[in-house]
Order: sequence, then C-alpha cells, then structure tokens
Amino acid sequence: MKLEGTHELEAPRERVYQSLVNPEVLQRCIPGCEKLERTGENIFAATIRAGVGSIKGVFNGTARLEDLREPEHLRIVVDGKGPPGFLKGVGNLDLEQADAGTKVNYSGDVQVGGTIASVGQRMIQGTAKMMATQFFTCLGAEAKTEVGEPPPKHGFFRTALRWFSGWLRRFFRTH
Amino acid sequence: MIPAQFDYQAPATLEEAVSLLASDLDGAKILAGGHSLIPAMKLRLAQPQLLVDIARIKSLAYIREEGDKILIGATTTHYQLESSDLLKQICPLLPECAKSIGDVQVRNKGTIGGSVAHSDPAGDWPAAVLALGAELVLVGPNGERTEKAEDFFVDLLTTSLLPGEILREIRIQKPAGKFGQAYQKVPHPASGFAVVGVAVHLVLNDDGSCQSAAIGVTGVGAKAFRAQAVEAALAGTSLDDNAIATAATHICDGVDPNGDLYASSEYRCHLAQVHARRAIQAAKANAK
Amino acid sequence: MTNNYVGQRVKRTEDPRLIKGLAHYVDDITLPGTLHVSFVRSIYAHAKINGIETEAAQTVPGVVAVYTGQDIAGKIGPVPCASALPELKVPDHRALAQDKVYFVGHPIAAVVATDRYAARDAIDLIMVDYEELPVVTDVEQAAAGGPVIHEAFGSNIAYKMTSGEGDIDAAFAAADRTVKQRMLHRRLAPIAMEPRGVLARYFPGEEELTLWSSTQIPHLMRTQVALMIGIPENKLRVITPEVGGGFGSKLNVYGEEALISWISMQLGKPVKWIETRRENIQATIHGRGQVGDIEVAFKNDGTLLGLRYSVFADLGAYHQLLTPAIPTLTGLMLSGAYKIPAIQMNITGCFTNKMATDAYRGAGRPEATYVVERALDLVAAELKVDPTEVRRKNFPASNEFPFHTATGLDYDSGDYETALNKAQEIAGYAKLREEQKKARDEGRLVGIGVSTYVEICALGPSQAMPAGGWESATVRIEPTGKVTVLTGASPHGQGQETSFAQIVADELGVGINDVTVIHGDTGVVQYGIGTFGSRATAVGGTAVLVAVQKLKEKAHKIASHMLQSDATRVSFEGGKYALQKAAAAAVTGTSDPVVPVGEAPAGALPEPQTEGKTSLSIQDIALAAHLAKELPPDTEPGLSATYFFEPKNFTFPFGTHIAVVEVDRETGDIKFLRYVAVDDCGRVINPMLVDGQVHGGIVQSIGQALYEEVVYDEQGQLLTGTLMDYAVPRAKHIPQFELDRTETPSPVNPLGVKGVGEAGTIGATPAIVNAVVDALAPFGVKHLDMPIKPENVWRIINGH
Repeated sequence: MKLEGTHELEAPRERVYQSLVNPEVLQRCIPGCEKLERTGENIFAATIRAGVGSIKGVFNGTARLEDLREPEHLRIVVDGKGPPGFLKGVGNLDLEQADAGTKVNYSGDVQVGGTIASVGQRMIQGTAKMMATQFFTCLGAEAKTEVGEPPPKHGFFRTALRWFSGWLRRFFRTH
Repeated sequence: MIPAQFDYQAPATLEEAVSLLASDLDGAKILAGGHSLIPAMKLRLAQPQLLVDIARIKSLAYIREEGDKILIGATTTHYQLESSDLLKQICPLLPECAKSIGDVQVRNKGTIGGSVAHSDPAGDWPAAVLALGAELVLVGPNGERTEKAEDFFVDLLTTSLLPGEILREIRIQKPAGKFGQAYQKVPHPASGFAVVGVAVHLVLNDDGSCQSAAIGVTGVGAKAFRAQAVEAALAGTSLDDNAIATAATHICDGVDPNGDLYASSEYRCHLAQVHARRAIQAAKANAK
Repeated sequence: MTNNYVGQRVKRTEDPRLIKGLAHYVDDITLPGTLHVSFVRSIYAHAKINGIETEAAQTVPGVVAVYTGQDIAGKIGPVPCASALPELKVPDHRALAQDKVYFVGHPIAAVVATDRYAARDAIDLIMVDYEELPVVTDVEQAAAGGPVIHEAFGSNIAYKMTSGEGDIDAAFAAADRTVKQRMLHRRLAPIAMEPRGVLARYFPGEEELTLWSSTQIPHLMRTQVALMIGIPENKLRVITPEVGGGFGSKLNVYGEEALISWISMQLGKPVKWIETRRENIQATIHGRGQVGDIEVAFKNDGTLLGLRYSVFADLGAYHQLLTPAIPTLTGLMLSGAYKIPAIQMNITGCFTNKMATDAYRGAGRPEATYVVERALDLVAAELKVDPTEVRRKNFPASNEFPFHTATGLDYDSGDYETALNKAQEIAGYAKLREEQKKARDEGRLVGIGVSTYVEICALGPSQAMPAGGWESATVRIEPTGKVTVLTGASPHGQGQETSFAQIVADELGVGINDVTVIHGDTGVVQYGIGTFGSRATAVGGTAVLVAVQKLKEKAHKIASHMLQSDATRVSFEGGKYALQKAAAAAVTGTSDPVVPVGEAPAGALPEPQTEGKTSLSIQDIALAAHLAKELPPDTEPGLSATYFFEPKNFTFPFGTHIAVVEVDRETGDIKFLRYVAVDDCGRVINPMLVDGQVHGGIVQSIGQALYEEVVYDEQGQLLTGTLMDYAVPRAKHIPQFELDRTETPSPVNPLGVKGVGEAGTIGATPAIVNAVVDALAPFGVKHLDMPIKPENVWRIINGH
C-alpha cells in the first residue's frame, strides 16, 4: 500500500532533521511506541502498541534509518511483528525549508500481513494516515521545543489531537 | 475466534459503570450490544481486561419526547429505534437509518450509543446524528458534559470521549416546521456496512425552497462528517433537480475518500454524489 | 410397484432433528477427557522456518503438548494426492510444515490443551523465526518463471496436458470466422456453513481409533488416514456425524485429519479440533482458479467447427486430493451441448503461493460451461443473431444419443431443444426481447442472458476414477420387519436418508417410516466411495435399488415356499405376497382366489400343509427368514442383500437457464428482474430435493458471478479473510426463481436418474454473466470478468 503526504511543521529544517534521528524523540512520537533502543548504528529495537480505537496490538521489531542526507532526506525502514500480524514499511522523507518552517514530504510503502491484513483491509489506509499524522504532529511539537527545554507533553492521543485538530485540518494534505 | 481472557461486570447503575471504568482506564471497556467489540475481541484485535456491561441497565434505554427535544438513551437498540411509532411520527430519519443497519440479529442487540461511540468509518448512526445536529451527553468521573456531534467524531474510530467517559444520551432538537428527511445507503454486500451513507435533514420554507440543509455522510472518509459545501449550495435554492444535482457534486469536498477492495476512492466519491442527490430528492419528497 | 413415495415431494426425515437443533455435528460430540487443538499457521506466503520456540506456550496452564513438523517427520505420511497424471509433480506436503511454508495459513505447530481457550492462548506465545522468500501469486507469472516454490522441481509447472479429438488446426483453417476471448475464473471459497472439524479417540488397550470427521468420503478417508499414520485399516473407524455442507470442500483428506488421529494415539486421549471460519477461508480448499483463452471457429451460418481452450490452472502451493485433476474435468466438457467436431484443451497447471485449489461444486465443469456459453454469445454477436439461434443450430438431436463428443465422452441421453423451448416459453422470450428494445429506447440497461448447459456427473466408471467409481448398498429387513439400508454414499445435506427410503419403501410396499437409511460409519456400512460429483442417487441410489430387488427375489422365494406355491403364481403388491387371483382362477375354473384346503389345482404342488394362509406380509417373510423354520432348501437364513453398482458411463444432466437483469446507469448496480431455469436431471425421486439443489446451485452461481472472490495481495496475504469481506449471497441478493423440468431418463442406470447436485451452479453462472454483458451491449461490451462488481460496470458505462 502506497502512503504519501505532506506536513508543514513550525520549526527550522535542521531542528526537524535532528528530531527525526533522535531515538528519544522517535520513541515519544511514533504512536504507541513503548520502547526504542539503539542496537547498532542507526538501527533500533522497538516495541509498539499500535492501534486505533479499541483495536490494539503489540508489535516487536526494528527500525532502521538509512540514506541519511542531513538536513534534506532520510529513509526509515520498519519491520515489526506481533499477534495481530506483521507490519513492514519503508518511508522516504524529504525536508524543504519553507519560510520559518519545514515542509516534510513523505512517500512510502506499507505492507501488512496476518490478521490485520485479512480482516482489516478497509481500514489499513486510514489507520496508516492517522498514525502518520500523529507522528508528524508530535514531531512538529518536539522540533519547536528549544534545545535544553523539557520535551513537550503529548498526553493521551485524543487530547493531543483535539488540541491540534484545527492545525491538522490546515496542514494535512495528500497528493 | 476465541477472545483473550477478560473479566466481566454487569453494574446495575451508570454510576457503578463509571467507577468500574475508572478503576482501569487502560484495560476496561464498555460493552453494550457487543456487535463491534466482540468480533474485535474474537479476532484478538481488541483485548480489554474488563468488560463493563451496560446493556442490562434498563434505565439507559429510552426514547422520549421532552419539550422541544427528543432524548434517546445510549443503550436503545437499533430495533427499538426502527420500530418506534413516536419517531416515525416526529423524526423519521431515525427509524429509516436504524432499519438499514446490518440484519435483524444485529439490530436486536446493537445500540445507537455503542455505534456512535465506536465511530466506525462506515457506521450508519454517525451520519444520522450529524444530520440531526445532535448533542451527546457524556458522563465520567468528573461529572457530566455535553458535546456537539460535529465535535464528537474526531478521526478513524476516534471520538472526543475522554478516558473513563460513557456516552449516556443522545439529544436531538425535535424537527419543527416544514421538514423532510431521508437516509440513502449503499450496503457492502458482505458486511452490510455503508460503502456510502448519506443522511439528509431539510428544512423548507413555506414556498418549498430550502431554508437549511444538514447532511451527514458516512463510509466516505475516516469518520462521518457534515457535507458543509453541499449544505451551503442547497440553502436558499428552490430545490429543483438542477440545484440538487449541482449541490451533490460537492459531497466529497474537503475529504479524502476511502479506497478499499470493494470500491476505489473515485467510485466511492461518485456513489456518494449519486446517493446524496437521491437522498436530498427523497427528503424533499418526504417533506411535510 | 406402487409409487407411494418416489416422485412425490416427501418431507425430509432429516429435517426435524436439524430444525430442532438436536442433530450431532462433530463439535456436538463430547467425550470425557477430550483435549483441544489450536494451530499456529503461517502469516507469510513463502518463508523458510529457521526455528520455532514453543517453551513459553508449554507453560500455559492446561497445555499438554506442542507439536511441530519435526515431531511428525517420518511418523505421518504426506497428504495424499489421488491424481495420476503423467509426469505430474507432487510436492511432499505434510500435516505440519517441515522446513518451509508456502502459503498463508500453512500449519506450523499444533498446541494440545485441556480446553480450547488455553490452546488458543498458547498459540500466541509460539515464536516462529521466519526467513521470508520471494512470493509468486499470479499463475501466469508463476508459469513464466517467477520464484520457484518447490526447488526440487526446478519450475512452478506441475503438469502440462493437451487433450481433445479432431483436427483443430484444420477446423480453424476452414473457418469463416473465429472469436477469441480471455476469461478468468477467480478463486472461490466453498464456505460450508459448518467449517471442518475432527475428533479422534484412540483406545490404547484395543489399539483402535475412532475418527469423527466432517467429511464427504468416510471410507476413502479411513484407507488414507490408516496409511498416513500407520494403523491397520481395520483398526480405524471413521464416522461422519451430521455434516453442515461440503460442496466438495470436504471431498478430501486434510493433514489435520491424520494429525489429530496421530496425536490421539500419542496421548491416549480423545483429541478434537474445530476449524474457525478464518481458518476455513485460509486453509480449506478453494475452488476454480483458471485463466485462459477460448477460441471458437465457425461458419457464417453459425455451424461450430472447432473450439480451443488454453488455460493456466492456479493449483496453489501443493496438491490436495484432486487438485491437478479438476482442470482436466474442464477439458472433458468443452463440447458443451453442441456438436463440435474438433476440440483442443491445453492446460498448464502451476504452483502459486496460495492455498491449494480442489473440487468446489462443479469441480472444473462450471469453468467449461462458462467459457463455452460465453463463447457462444460471442459467436452470436459476431453473426448478429439471437444467442438461442446459434445454440439451436448446433444441438445434437434427441435421437442422436449416445452422443460422442470430441472430448472423448458419450453423452447418455439428452433433449436440449425441448429444454430450451420450455425455458423460452416460461420466460416469454420473444416478449422479453421486445420489452428490452423498449427499455433500451428509454435508456434503461436491460439484459437477457441464456445458458444451455450440459454437465457430466454421477462419477463414474471406475476406469476413469482414481479410487473406484462404484457405490455400495446393503438392504436388510430385521426380524421385526423394520428395514435398514446401509449406503456407501455419504450425504451431507442432500437428503438421501429420505430419497433412498422412498425408493426402498415403494419397492417393499412398506411405510417410509419403517425404513432407516444409515451412512457415514465405516464400522457399520460396507465400503463405499462417498458423495461428490452428484453421484449419490444415480450411483448410490441404483445400488440401493438393485440390492432391494435382490432382496425381493429371495423374499419371493421364501414366500412362495411358505404359500406352498410356484413362484410364478405368487404376486407381490402393497407389501404382501399373495397367490395370484388369475392363476388360481385359471387352475380351479372359478374366480375364487383362494385355493381351498384339501383341493389341489391340476398340475400343482403337493397338498398344502398350511392352515389357510393365502397371503404373507413382507414382515412375515422377514421373521420367517430369521426363525429359519420354514425356509426353502438351499436358502440361507436372514433377509439381506448387498450390491456394488459399477456404472458403465457418467450421466449428463442438462438444461436452460435464462436470466434477466437491469443495470443502474448511475451506479453500475445489477438487479435481477427474472430468473428462469429448466433443468433435466432424468428421473426425479423427490421433486422438493431437486428444487432445493437447483436453488442452492443458482445461489452459488450468483455468488461467483456477482460477489465472491478470494483475494490475495502480491505478497500472498489473504485479504478476504472473513465473511465481512468475502461476500456470500444473502437472501436479499437472490431473485424469485421460476423453475421447471424436463425429464429425459438416463439409460446408464435402472433408476433413470442423472443427478442434479451441481447442475444449478454450472448452468446459472454463464446465464447471469451473459445477461449483464447483454445489458451493456449498447456500450460495445463483449465480455466482463467475474465477479462483476458495480464499479467495473460503472467504469464501462462512463468510460473511466
């Protein structure tokens, strides 16, 4: 399944890029990510409690950062497995400076298998988009934080999303 | 098809239900009709630790006229709504929508509150409650609050219910004046869910022209939504065929239509347009 | 013989228990101490298994054992494939994956626990170390190259075959015109209402195993499972309890049946496995799965000269019992209801990373009828004639039977023209075409589709069958006069407990409630082949008929002896043996039917010693046969007869279906306006049962034509994993049927029965598709692939 979109974040490109390669930020922003530990150069072991609504499952796997060209481009490769099935994805992120902010163009391929593929086909695209939105919203908040300040609280997704929902409607766009 | 282990409680009152939920915000889940939750549990896609069954709280199921409002208890079943003579009289959109849901067995168990709180992108009730400008009464550990339907549906399977909150009542302004309602749906041949579903509530002027329109759409996006562009295009028109057809072309404005195995996003949007037009025509024909 | 029952709409004796929920399906059988099994199944379509961690699962309370492929290696034989095509590649497929998995749903491990909940919990804790391999799902890509699934074979081609008679090249050379069209048969899931289920109980002391299985072939299963797990065949008993539908999906021997039996032997306890619906869609065989080109050569006057069908058959990742044989059945029926002098079928059977395909209602014949009937419509369109005209032109006449086809068959009997005429009359065909023209002028898209089909069933002569094509029956009358029929057929919803009782009750002149039909128990019933291929009544019913006639011969002999008369002067009517009035009168010169005591007619037997008995009931005979005091010399006691019927040919039911549809211009939605079916299944034992079969068959055709499709993505992930996505037709999708029959008896068996279990599914699909294509003719549409979804139609109408 192809996934594409653009998000506008209110932070300079360098800050956004640095947040993207920072495992602590990634752990806070990947929706449901409970654990993200570096296991090698640009390779991380991850535990993600992913889902939407009451549909949730725990996935264990890896995330890899590749093709790093600071501050304009990187690729994320994820591979996770859990009782609900497996999830594999490759996402290319291209960052453009846009005035004081950053335009992040993402395009990727997501593959799911197991239970979620065979019973949830109609919602996979929507879920993927929603999680992408959550991720970039969070990333934007993190990137906005001045270096040295405590990280922003993200609370429960619902509260965050309500807070950002107006912002969301302005910035969420797909091709 | 066997769920993971869970505890089960059937409280006698709503207050008990709220406090049971609060005891395990992460792991407790409300059970009403169960026809969305239990399949998810059987597939182990949902694994609540505690089911709090509110279907047995009789006082939560009712259909009442109170002043200029219609009050519907959250655990009222689809069948009760489908067969309500009162509603057929004063707000026929509700029985019409109810009748289109699933099948007889589902309608005997499923509840309007459960459907609204679950916010399935292809569920029927969200379209109707949006079209009726409903207010939702939510009760939680911090007390009661109301939320407008348009603010309630936030995203895919996501509502503005805070952790620990239970939807207890749906309040609808009793339609007044000259109004017409209709619900048009394309059921998925396997699941019966709405490939597209359009709920229309038209308020007409005495001369039959459109005073206002409220149009709730489901099946098309990540969540049900009000088709504001269509509503704006209809308002003030004579509701002639051309006006309706033109207005309907805006049904997907601002929405990224879903594409799945059954229907591409292009076809889905087209279906939405066709059924929006048909629903508006039907609402106009039903007007009195 | 009086027809009190045969030919009547007798209510089924099966129904009261089914309707009241008192029947016993596999899951209803509870044995103390039963252990339950849950499977870990592959979530990848193609992967090496580098390791399986089962320790965590084994600690779940209630878990008794966990088995993987290693545990059964060398202990349980491969899943059998009964097809013996030359140079067929047969993968070694076991009940649990060995070193790799090759389809989503491939069983990897089995957890055995004291309850099914613990078993289910435990499988979540089993960790499989998969190493993914490239996947191939498209059958044409698999044939052309693609990742090789079974390395030892070097390619994904399991077999290639060419069949047919006549000079096909000459036919195409001599043609005035030809048509060619690519056609698809997407995979279908049989979706029996009851998924599969197995319960095995081993008694270590007696070393005997009883296996309850929801199957269509209890005896064949006994033989195969005995071989697979190494138990003597006469120590294994297979019982089919009530079976909630099969449709061919249970005409098979699955790995689970052998595995559950073997586990019971290992643990010395009863072991049960009940398939979930998700497993049923993943890992019970799929039907259809062909893609190919049909070409027809014909003359300008519509005479058919030749037909060629070149097809890729999607066999799946391995073979179940008849997987490779199904496409060959397609080849057999490519002549359809027509005289076609030259026919050629080219099959390339390929492996893909999907579940195995096998027999599903029609098993290869719906594919043949579909391509032929669609092609005939293409021919009619070319010639600009009504589709019925081309068909009529090429029918064999009813006196041209047995009719030899260029596929090597001899159709037994047929009268295709009469069935077509009848269907057209019921439909008011000429008027329908007029109404269609008016509708078209109004811009409405109305379509009329015809299918004149013939199909091959009542499988079949043993020469042509992998494991015997005969069927067995024992009929016996107990001392109290009750009648017991043991049939080797294995009904799973068809109603033979009723129809066979009808046959026997009429033959014996007894009440139908005095006849009990027993099937599905290898410990009780003599070896039988089972129920599939619409054979139970034509082959099994004939065995019953001949057995009961043999029985009657003996009873007649006994009765004559007891009536002290020559057998020729004893009549049997209404369940009674009596001295014939005419014979008695002729001899005595009076019309007095009774031979008075003391008076002997001239030339008669010695003086009667009886006490004035003039007639005996069949129950009297049965008792006498067991008491054995008055038996004629050289007559064995008892009253029972067994017959094994070997049919000398298949049978060929036929008919005409006419579908009328309307397409919504705006949405592409398809609605039935009418549905007419005239089917000829030869002699009809119970019209209600026949109607039921036709109904069910048409519904499954509607499913294939408009709704159903098993979808795998490019990675071999099964996307239509539940009934929320796999769209089986519901009542609201089904039109009122207008059904009728012609009755052309089959000369193949003394009942004259052809069989009807699959005919509806074979005849209806092309009628429906022909109708939709006809509806879209104004847009120049020549062909549409199934399932015809509204979006496909919308795109055509709107040029998207």
